[in-house]
Amino acid sequence: MTVSSAPPAARNAAYQQLVAQRNAFTLTMTVTFLVLYFLLPVLAGYNKPLMAQKVVGNVTFGYVLAFAEFIMGWVMAYIYVVKARTFDRLAQEARA
Amino acid sequence: MTFLLAAVIVAVTLAVTFWASRRNTSAGDFYVAGGRISATQNGIAIAGDYMSAASFLGITGLIALNGYDGFMYSVGWFIAYLTVLFIVAEPLRNLGKYTLADMLVYRLKDPRVRTYAAVSTIVISTFYMIAQVVGAGSLISLLSRGAISADLAIPLVGVLMIIYVVVGGMLATTWVQIIKAMLLMFATIVMTVLILNRFGWSFSNMLGVVEAKNGAAFLGAGVKYTNPIDLISLCLALVLGTAGLPHILVRFFTVPTAQDARKSVVWAMVLIGAFYVMTAFMGNAANALLGKGAIEAANKAGNMAAPLLAENLFGGAGTLGGEFGLAFVTAVAFATILAVVAGLTISASTSFTHDIYNGVLKGGQASEKDQFRVARLATVAVGVAAILLGLAAKTQNVAFLVALAFALAASANLPVILFTLFWRRFNATGAMWGIVGGILFTLLLIAISPNIMKIDPDTLTTGRHLIQANAIFPLENPGLISIPAGFLFAYLGTLIGARRHTPEDDRIFEDMQFRAYTGAGVDGTVAAHD
Repeated sequence: MTVSSAPPAARNAAYQQLVAQRNAFTLTMTVTFLVLYFLLPVLAGYNKPLMAQKVVGNVTFGYVLAFAEFIMGWVMAYIYVVKARTFDRLAQEARA
Repeated sequence: MTFLLAAVIVAVTLAVTFWASRRNTSAGDFYVAGGRISATQNGIAIAGDYMSAASFLGITGLIALNGYDGFMYSVGWFIAYLTVLFIVAEPLRNLGKYTLADMLVYRLKDPRVRTYAAVSTIVISTFYMIAQVVGAGSLISLLSRGAISADLAIPLVGVLMIIYVVVGGMLATTWVQIIKAMLLMFATIVMTVLILNRFGWSFSNMLGVVEAKNGAAFLGAGVKYTNPIDLISLCLALVLGTAGLPHILVRFFTVPTAQDARKSVVWAMVLIGAFYVMTAFMGNAANALLGKGAIEAANKAGNMAAPLLAENLFGGAGTLGGEFGLAFVTAVAFATILAVVAGLTISASTSFTHDIYNGVLKGGQASEKDQFRVARLATVAVGVAAILLGLAAKTQNVAFLVALAFALAASANLPVILFTLFWRRFNATGAMWGIVGGILFTLLLIAISPNIMKIDPDTLTTGRHLIQANAIFPLENPGLISIPAGFLFAYLGTLIGARRHTPEDDRIFEDMQFRAYTGAGVDGTVAAHD
């Protein structure tokens, strides 16, 4: 376990790029989803009339927002999967 | 018919267990199925680990009795997987071998951290398990209409779970999860289609019936969660706690690479998301078709909403179809209980054997054969402890223990995971402070919260609160305070333990980061890296 798995050659451009891109991506996505997610409990706690407002037929804003959160989750997971192809390519270059 | 279907499920899972036992030859097979589970299989198993009886029966009941608030609760369980996907899954796979402790020690190079992380895993799994086992007792006695009492159900679940894990290890546990997850998804999808058919394929129509029966407030927030701060605190623990739950984390060691870990989470998100969306249909349909009164008459907490709904959808009480629907959903709920308890047990016994027995007591020198033997003994010990704790706690109000497990995971494990991955100056003292501080502070807040301290009327005989006094800490869920406190403990510990930052520290950090980000040195099977 003490043997370094990072050869000096690894501190290359591809690796630098991977770290920078990955950190920026993770931070942006995490902050975005936390803000969008907490809209739900915050509105549920502090704006009950809005949550009970009917939007489509008998479907309230609360239900629309909750369903939208599921779609947001899937979309963000998909964005990550696409973006991760770049990360995988950079990681492969960095290891080489 | 219920007993017949439940017996079929038990027979199939036991057959899988004995098949798996022939492929289990080493400790690595026992702990993580040799790292040979595919991403798809693992994704389904993660979904299985997560969709417990509490979700299936509990959330359906919660929505049926409280309307929108119950569904809002579902959202947090799903969104939590974004934290797992973005931050934890891949680095964990790249840095660890069998447990969370592996990852922390890889970076921090201090064997004491291993002990602390293992204790944290065992504590969190135990709380989660007590909740599941006690829940299993009351659910099985409820589902069997009293034919099997809780005193019989708890040992029954315990013994079956011990057989799965001891005989079949992680491979059997994974397949039991997969079978159960598929049955649960199948049942949920069939019910949802029947529900939509009943309401003219319109969610709006169904909500119209719910509104007519319960009033407009039922379609909006605030029926159950009246204190906004408590709600936000609960949501925070859910979203950050999942990424620190040991029985979820251990699943990422069962796949060969970080890419597979990523794909597993995505698969899990597809299934878990679809499942929780369907809870909105099942819960509201239970309310619209059965009525709140009938659901509460069967069980005050609403746990019978899903089985009774199935009975209604398949033709109603007294019909052959209705009886089959009720029996099928009941048997699925039973399979769910067994599978989740087995998943918890294996994460606790792996942590004990790999981290404490081999890592600490034997200095990493225990033979494969010894580890394999100890892991199975540890499983029996964990199982027996679960049965005894479950029997002891069976009259207590333990529903809060699941939320407590999430709060503990978010407060004690997540800060340490994040600092290990991203903070260059983080050190072993910080990790130990973070884990111990996070656990003790969370437990303290819970002990003085309304979960434990409340004055019950004298007439209440079951589900009584431990301390009959007014609560000192007002929130039911401590996350809002305990999670920042967990980060603070880890930060303070780091300052206290700080020596001069040396080039060697930088090298270790960069080495860890290189491996976490590129997977260098990870070749996909468990024997390969250490």
